[in-house]
Amino acid sequence: MFKELDPLLHSQLRLAVISLLVSLEEADFVFLREKTNSTAGNLSVQLDKLGEAGYIEIEKGYSGKRPRTTCHITEHGRQAFENYVEALKTYFTP
Amino acid sequence: MEEKNLTQQESLELISKMIKETRTNMERDGGGIYLLWGYVWLIVAAAVYLLTLKTGDYRVQWLWFAIPLVGYPGMFILLRKREKRAITFVGRVIGSVWITIGIAAGLLSLYMLVNHLAFPILFVMALLINIGVAISGLVIRFTPITIAGFIGILLSFVLLMVPGIHQIAVFGAFSIIMLIIPGHILAAAGQRIKKAGNHV
Repeated sequence: MFKELDPLLHSQLRLAVISLLVSLEEADFVFLREKTNSTAGNLSVQLDKLGEAGYIEIEKGYSGKRPRTTCHITEHGRQAFENYVEALKTYFTP
Repeated sequence: MEEKNLTQQESLELISKMIKETRTNMERDGGGIYLLWGYVWLIVAAAVYLLTLKTGDYRVQWLWFAIPLVGYPGMFILLRKREKRAITFVGRVIGSVWITIGIAAGLLSLYMLVNHLAFPILFVMALLINIGVAISGLVIRFTPITIAGFIGILLSFVLLMVPGIHQIAVFGAFSIIMLIIPGHILAAAGQRIKKAGNHV
């Protein structure tokens, strides 16, 4: 029986971001943009969506005088990712 | 990458690809800090040894405090320059190990002001730092650092056998084995990783 895939994660950029953050303690905006090859504007929108859902926490600070945004996955986000992967498996299990 | 709907297969491939992207070995890019502490240690130990031999004045021992006075600010400058765009669990572990060792070493040094004969400080410092080097090497799975650390742990016991002020010369020489050589190896590895695009 196929399980429903979380629509918030079943999207290319959001899934890429969560997949990166699940393996890291934290990552900054520049790192996420480079690894996902996305535009700054689109990434910002997707991060906000993940943040509003409680899947990630976003911290805005400074590195010297430059603004720096860092993100880390929350426990809720980690659980959502695990649930997503479990649901994905149902599409491949004979 | 845009907001595109994926097939299940594409989802799986994307997850796998992104997880691989996080497998960097940037933790190996710590050569600068090893070199900073190594050379500061070597220079101060050489100065203390030679000045003590020449003058016989044990107030020269105050020069040891040049190590943290130069080392800590230098390290903070290096850390600030290094752009830490992502922190891995390994990176956090290494950082925690060295913060702990740094605090312990600092407290040990301060206690010398209370009672300079309380314990063989050079042996304790050498052992502590080599423990840090060995743990770092094991955690980042970089054999040259691991070997340097364990050799350093063994050689630390030599400091208990060397008499008088000659311990200082031996202690200074240890910085070459424990920090300077590993630092150059790490720095070279860091350069190779940067050229390869952060992957090994």
